Amino acid sequence: MIPILEIKALYKSFGGLEALKDITFNIDSGEIIGLIGPNGAGKTTLFNCVAGIEKPTAGRIILTNGNHTIPIGGKKPEAVAALGIARTFQNIRLFDNLTVIDNVKIGRHCRTKSLFFGAVIRNKFQQAEEKAITESAYQFLEFVGLQGRGQEIARSMAYGDQRRLEIARALATGPRLLMLDEPAAGMNPQESRDLMDLIHRIRDNDITVLLIEHDMKVVMGVCERVVVINHGEWLTEGKPQDVQNNPKVIEAYLGTGAANAA
Amino acid sequence: MFLQQLVNGLTIGGIYAMIAVGYTMIYGVVQLINFAHGEIYMLGAFFAVTFISVLGIPFYAAFPLAMVCCAVCGVLLDIFAYRPLRQSPRLAALITAIGMSIFLQNLAMIIWGSRPKPFPQEALPAYFEKTAASFGGVNLSWFHLFIFGLTIVMMVGLNLIIKKTRWGRAMRAVAQNKTMAALTGINVNRVISYTFALAGALGGAAGIMVGAFYNSLYPTMGYVAGVKAFAAAVLGGIGSVPGAMLGGVVLGVAEALGAGYLSSLYRDGISYAVMIIVIILIPAGLFGRVLKETKKSM
Amino acid sequence: MGKLEPQNLTRGAKIRIGLLVFVLILPVLPFMTDYLLHIAILIFLYMILALGLNIVPGFNGLLDLGYVGFYGIGAYTSGLLTYHFGLSYWVIIPLAFINGAIWGILLGAPTLRLTGDYFAIVTFGFSELVVLFLTNEIWLTRGPLGLPGIDVVSIDLTLFGGPKWEFVGELPYYYLAIVMVLATVFVMYRIQDSRLGRAWFAIRDDEVAAVSCGINLLAYKVIAFSISAAFGAVGGSFFARWVTFLSPDMFKFWESFLILCMIVLGGMGNIWGVMIGAVILVSLSEILRELLPLLGLPVEVRFLAFGLIMVLMMRYRPAGMLPIAAVAAQMRAGRTKRRKTKPALGKKK
Repeated sequence: MIPILEIKALYKSFGGLEALKDITFNIDSGEIIGLIGPNGAGKTTLFNCVAGIEKPTAGRIILTNGNHTIPIGGKKPEAVAALGIARTFQNIRLFDNLTVIDNVKIGRHCRTKSLFFGAVIRNKFQQAEEKAITESAYQFLEFVGLQGRGQEIARSMAYGDQRRLEIARALATGPRLLMLDEPAAGMNPQESRDLMDLIHRIRDNDITVLLIEHDMKVVMGVCERVVVINHGEWLTEGKPQDVQNNPKVIEAYLGTGAANAA
Repeated sequence: MFLQQLVNGLTIGGIYAMIAVGYTMIYGVVQLINFAHGEIYMLGAFFAVTFISVLGIPFYAAFPLAMVCCAVCGVLLDIFAYRPLRQSPRLAALITAIGMSIFLQNLAMIIWGSRPKPFPQEALPAYFEKTAASFGGVNLSWFHLFIFGLTIVMMVGLNLIIKKTRWGRAMRAVAQNKTMAALTGINVNRVISYTFALAGALGGAAGIMVGAFYNSLYPTMGYVAGVKAFAAAVLGGIGSVPGAMLGGVVLGVAEALGAGYLSSLYRDGISYAVMIIVIILIPAGLFGRVLKETKKSM
Repeated sequence: MGKLEPQNLTRGAKIRIGLLVFVLILPVLPFMTDYLLHIAILIFLYMILALGLNIVPGFNGLLDLGYVGFYGIGAYTSGLLTYHFGLSYWVIIPLAFINGAIWGILLGAPTLRLTGDYFAIVTFGFSELVVLFLTNEIWLTRGPLGLPGIDVVSIDLTLFGGPKWEFVGELPYYYLAIVMVLATVFVMYRIQDSRLGRAWFAIRDDEVAAVSCGINLLAYKVIAFSISAAFGAVGGSFFARWVTFLSPDMFKFWESFLILCMIVLGGMGNIWGVMIGAVILVSLSEILRELLPLLGLPVEVRFLAFGLIMVLMMRYRPAGMLPIAAVAAQMRAGRTKRRKTKPALGKKK
């Protein structure tokens, strides 16, 4: 398996607080991999380091693209997005006051170019680009199951739909790696099942998926491999069932995760 | 020439310091640049003149009385203009502050006329004019010493209030973390009003001294002085009272020396330039108090 | 734009076309005087300025207090180029635009990374420095004496063997101003509905999310600021060739505040709101100028009134008269969308 992302000896401290300590693992191209651990383990911090919102204190993060490798630790978030890593947010960050379709169109930003003159003069290039943006935006909406809802205002959507919209927007950035931060939070069982199906379909479109999740049903149902971190340190990794039965993992969760997975 | 400019600089610097601490204290507790603070300074001068000329109150009484009025003005400003916007985004509060500044400037213009007025010099103690010390071609009058002395006394007094009194501690608590301060039983609104009162009194005092010393009052005098004092506060590190004091003095001296040696035309420009450069290069200012980043998306 | 038959147009479009027709025939209506024409042109000028300023707080959520600096730079550049080199106004318009844009980039690039308060103050300082420069560099600008004798606008076809029409009186400027306003509105609409506009709205709505879509915050803020400055400069260029006399005290902070009032009153971010704000405030200013002496009040009460209006607007209708949802949501007190994001998520320097 070719790795798409390699995390090597990653450290992140906030002042005196060591949020991540010597994290090392790979993400293989085309896999669906879960990142689990109790609250406060450092999962979102890890995401933020990969996505460029936080700068690692030490260690390396390497993105592999075909034959070349690109170190991305410390790169700015917009650069990381352009390199093909998209993410969603734990607390859903949509453009609340914009329409659904605009939210997705903005996702296309890093794959498009037009600026002031294009906007005003509407030359052939800009027109073609806008057409492509609009078409692809509708396609992404359809992909996540929000077809026909383009003109709604993002703020007014139901929570589950907002999550799907955020995923559509992230997909619009044209990623090779999609990072989902607790996408199933607050979802009912049917929504969770739809989400798992969506994640499979995303992977079928050649996008690697890394997911932080607490809902063990989803983790078991969708992840091929699971990495466990606790207190900022790598604890173990492996197939979901193996990890689930690992006594160290159960202990880390103090039984809450294990209970849910039943 | 150098000594003369130095003395000028220290004099005006002390004034800037007094206005600057007002800006910095208010910013500390409500994270707002009180654009109207310069107008309180201006009102101080006008109140004093009105008390002296119209009501016949002697200088030594008019001075504190005007300070009290300025304190009241500060509190009213808070209660009626800023407090309702406590939860609003900064853009709204900033616009309100500018609006109040313009409102007060023009109110003063209507009440007192827009032409510069002199300060009733006859009301000042006679010995103010007399030379107290003379060296290197510079004459230090008692008025100079009065200003220096009063400035120092007020700065020391302010420091004592902030460090040693209950109110001072409450102010510092509110500046650090409003929510926690409220949870420990501090009446945040009252502390904020108190801060406005204190800032107002000091600003007013500065206004009176400037009006009397330079013998000229006009409704827009708060505008330029206000910006410069803000520059001083930024230089010292906004939120830091000792920083504002130091910033005021440094700015005053820099301005006087710059005007003396470089160009008197750009006297005001020196402050603006200092302010812009400091904000861009070292936003934390001399005393490094980090500006609380309250950008909406964070 | 579809078919122009009346039954195919929306009500809004009908209103706008009606207004346009009204405005076009206004000068020939019986009650029009040169004075009223002058006011109308002033309104159009402020519309252009307000639309330009609108980009920054309206589309980007930042407070620019130094807009008059660009207005002044545009006016004086235009005035001086005309005075010394006799340049045609049609050449000056694009030059003013570019000049304004360059100054916007120069001022914006180092300052747009600052937080809102500091940015406001720095732009304010900038505009004050511009005024100081205009006042003191007498060799260039004649300082407080002012710069008179700027040529009027003319259409010069002598190169093609045709005549040269000089603008005489208010009427030609009236129509020129209408054209410029329409051009400005056109540009604003085009930007709004484009990738650039969307990027700005994204930044305004949620910077962290915008960044995750690949938007470079600083670059886009600088673009916004620069375009805003460009329009300010174009407005200034018109002003110079219209009143044919410039002096530094025409470009004081008060102008920035006035234009800000227009966009706040009308509705930040809303193109029509901003234009309506311009109409209201300029009209109000003139009405008060006539009315106040009759009431025995000094003319300065106008300014006082505007200050008070702003304070009241912020208190009761912070998003303006024609608010747009995004800005209204931002300006509402006690914002309901408090994000419970962990500090780690958004800690940018």
